Amino acid sequence: MPVSDSIFTRTIGKRPVLSAALCALWLSPFSSTLAQEQTVCFESRETASRVTQTELGEDLPNVKCSDTTGGVLWWGDPFDGTVPMGDMPIEADYTHGEAVVKPRTEQMTLYPVCGIGCHNGIFPEPVESDAPPRALTMHTDIIPDALDLQHGNGALWCLDCHDATTRNMFVDNAGGLIDFNQPQQLCGKCHGQVYGDWRDGLHGKRTGEWAVTGKKRWFVCTECHNPHDVQQGVLESGFFRLQPEAAPILPKGMENADHERHDAH
Amino acid sequence: MKKLASFVAAYWIYVFRGSAKFYTWLGFLGLFIFGWVYGNYMQLTEGMIVTGLTDQVSWGLYLANFVFLVGVAAGAVTVVFPAYVYKHKGLHDVAVLGEMLAIAAVVMCMLFVLNHMGRPDRLWHMIPLLGIYNFPGSMLTWDVIVLVGYLILNVLGGFYFLYKKYTNEPVNKGFYMTVIYIAIVWALSIHTVTAFLINTMPARPMWHHGMMPIRFITTAFAAGPALIIIVFTVIRNNTKLKIADSAIDLLSQIVVWCLGIALFLTMSEVVTELYHPTEHSAGLRYLMFGHNGLNGLVPWFWASIVALVVSFVLLLQPRVRKNYKILPIICAITFLGIWVEKGMGLLIPGSIPTPIGEFTQYSPTAIEIMNSLGNWAIGFIVLTLLLKGAIGVLLGEVRYASE
Amino acid sequence: MTDIKDPGDTTSEEAPPKRMSRRGFVKSATGVSAASLMGTAALMANSDDPEAQSIWAEWFQSNFRLMNDEEKQDAIDRLERRYSAQYDKQVTVDATPAQEGVLFGYALNIQKCIGCRRCAKACVEENNQSRGDQEIEWIRVLKMEKGEFEATKMEDGFPDGYGIQVGGNAYSPAGVVLEGEHYYEPEQVPEEDAFYMPIQCMQCEKPPCVKVCPVRTTFREPDGVVVIDYNWCIGCRMCIGACPYWARRFNWGEPDLPAEEMNPKTHYYGNRPRMKGVVEKCTFCVQRTRQGRYPACVEVCPVGARKFGNLLDPESEVRRVLATKSVFRLKAELNTYPKFFYYVD
Repeated sequence: MPVSDSIFTRTIGKRPVLSAALCALWLSPFSSTLAQEQTVCFESRETASRVTQTELGEDLPNVKCSDTTGGVLWWGDPFDGTVPMGDMPIEADYTHGEAVVKPRTEQMTLYPVCGIGCHNGIFPEPVESDAPPRALTMHTDIIPDALDLQHGNGALWCLDCHDATTRNMFVDNAGGLIDFNQPQQLCGKCHGQVYGDWRDGLHGKRTGEWAVTGKKRWFVCTECHNPHDVQQGVLESGFFRLQPEAAPILPKGMENADHERHDAH
Repeated sequence: MKKLASFVAAYWIYVFRGSAKFYTWLGFLGLFIFGWVYGNYMQLTEGMIVTGLTDQVSWGLYLANFVFLVGVAAGAVTVVFPAYVYKHKGLHDVAVLGEMLAIAAVVMCMLFVLNHMGRPDRLWHMIPLLGIYNFPGSMLTWDVIVLVGYLILNVLGGFYFLYKKYTNEPVNKGFYMTVIYIAIVWALSIHTVTAFLINTMPARPMWHHGMMPIRFITTAFAAGPALIIIVFTVIRNNTKLKIADSAIDLLSQIVVWCLGIALFLTMSEVVTELYHPTEHSAGLRYLMFGHNGLNGLVPWFWASIVALVVSFVLLLQPRVRKNYKILPIICAITFLGIWVEKGMGLLIPGSIPTPIGEFTQYSPTAIEIMNSLGNWAIGFIVLTLLLKGAIGVLLGEVRYASE
Repeated sequence: MTDIKDPGDTTSEEAPPKRMSRRGFVKSATGVSAASLMGTAALMANSDDPEAQSIWAEWFQSNFRLMNDEEKQDAIDRLERRYSAQYDKQVTVDATPAQEGVLFGYALNIQKCIGCRRCAKACVEENNQSRGDQEIEWIRVLKMEKGEFEATKMEDGFPDGYGIQVGGNAYSPAGVVLEGEHYYEPEQVPEEDAFYMPIQCMQCEKPPCVKVCPVRTTFREPDGVVVIDYNWCIGCRMCIGACPYWARRFNWGEPDLPAEEMNPKTHYYGNRPRMKGVVEKCTFCVQRTRQGRYPACVEVCPVGARKFGNLLDPESEVRRVLATKSVFRLKAELNTYPKFFYYVD
């Protein structure tokens, strides 16, 4: 992605204070005020997969949201907002059908300016890719403690996944860059068995057409797993906990469900 | 044809020529019809939401009454069988009254089925050729055949006998005895098929055992004759018809034998299911002991056991059976005890817990109770009217006066 | 208007061929009578209200499988008119028959299920069930509690003279408790000492519900889905009694379905709005699966625990699960041969 010759670097690069202010502006909550009137719900992870409810056609909303949990319950068009998955380095069954993914970067407020307004090679100071782990002064809302990353039980640090200079791209084992919207190429470096199961459709989630040759939207790794907080404390499941939907209504003649609460007696 | 028309006319004219006591009784029964009309109106317009039934307990008061009344209808065979096969003189003279009871009981069964159905307006879907009749796959279709057949047999047999008595002609033994023999076997079949309706579902472990048909037959042959004894007592006290003591004695003996076998079967079920209780005996444990605070059925179970055991012990003694003042009371207790045992003791706990383990409670709503009482009242009205006419014919007060 | 596609062989396995010749006579006889009655009814109704017009015609209509193409089209049109007027939307009632070479199967990973119940609610969004006080949900999620064996209970239990007959830990949630909880509502799932098992219609190959239906209104379609002709059901609830998985629900009253929540894309055997007094259940979203799409529960599951596909296609996701994972079925000893498999990985 050629960013060095753009007008932004020529202006912002020379004005570090202004670019820092712009960074701060992007981080501010003002950008989300426009969305207040519409219903917004999340597809899988609450912070990573927001969708705004719209009408795709007559009586066809793009999603139906849960009033209780804010999760998406139903898609009118499973392929709304998706793009073709692109190449995967190894032959997989997706070549039989059509695989699409939903790019996450469109929702990320930081993403467009990561490599332009912030990590542009000039400000802040660039680091070597084999730099030792240190505590971060920014992004502490994403990673509270960079020296105790909740991924890999202490074996990983930021630059094991993020490229040292182009921060909105991931890095593969040969130093090449991986697109932010294809995280499976990164995650599969270590989680090979899961990656294989994911390619076979046994791990993870697909929506769309059930036929093997059908078109499917594949949910990519980071849509379900938060890479910065995968260890999930006590459960160690790799998957975040959710607020459950409401219980079914009690049948007639029952005032409560105390008889089935095992801790109640 | 002229004789038949005059028979029908004379029968019904005699029926409606009754005493004040007769009309008071009919009036009392008629009171329940008001509730019945209201309840059925609500159920037909609002749907079955007006009942206490749920997806968890979807077979309730209506089907409990249906199952019990099929038994009572089958119990008429305890009059017919000794009368014609064993030529028991006492019962032979009044056998037709048993057939009248069978007719009334089957009418009540049909009313309860109509109340139980979600869409009684679509009943025509069950008529063969017009709709689809899933015979022999569905046990319900067997039940419809045997019930309708039993009704036809009793109407045919009973009124043929009465007609011949009315016209003072001899009964065509070939025809009549064929109908009687078929009806005797058929009576066993109606309650066996009803038991099969329930016990052929592996999804309901409380019902799914081979003992169900025999349990149904024995309780039916205890409840049916018990009711017949009460009816015979009422007839003795209020009409000129003489019912021999031997008739009542044989019936009370049948009650006590069948009650004994029924209690034995209950005991064997309890031992088998509770010796090492499994998830399959959860329904029985819920019935007998309740579950985590859900205890609604427990008093009903134990009350019915006490009632039946006490009745059994009392009826074992010949001097109790011969005491025709006490006997009807004990028979009433037996009748009610078996009703509770079939209803609360079998139909309701069969659905609790659900096949996936959910415990709930069921109690019928006022509308359900009104409809049930109304159905019973209609049945007893039918019984009263039919018995009155039959007694008139038997006494000779309704007879064909040829010119 | 939805046209009836050429059905090919739409007779299910339950209709014995020997009744065909009588069927033909009866079809034409009932066709004539139904049509003439409908005509009379239309004259009598004398109103433009589609609901009033269709009530008589719907009452007289035959079982859907016995109708000829013209009658089916009439029935579909009638329903579309009635639903569209009732819900103020353009409602379509599809009648796509089963596809050749397809047998639907389902696999659920109980290792992954977190008990969030979104499957149950997505099903409701898709399938037009009754809401509010008469809420119906076709999927029921059970919470199975695990627990620890407690040393403090060593002294409990039922001793006899020679030792303990029943250990004190027998009746507590040690290992796993046998009764599932249905009404759990914690702040977050999965809870610490629990795993979850959703249950819905198993679409059995040998369905007990089909066997007991006195009017054959519920039956197994050639693609394996057990469906109900809602206009033929008499509401006797024999099927609810016979189902070992408690999969079937009954409309005790007139269903309460608000117009704004109604899903207008329906199928005759699937999610079209039902009426009071009839039975309903999961149909593997026949309105979606016959158009090639996953059922709603499969799409919504946030942990990807649900897999669906064609059991006759060895490459399908569900076949891969059966081939590579440890699989079991509920109540297999009842010989219902469910096509809903549970697995762990």
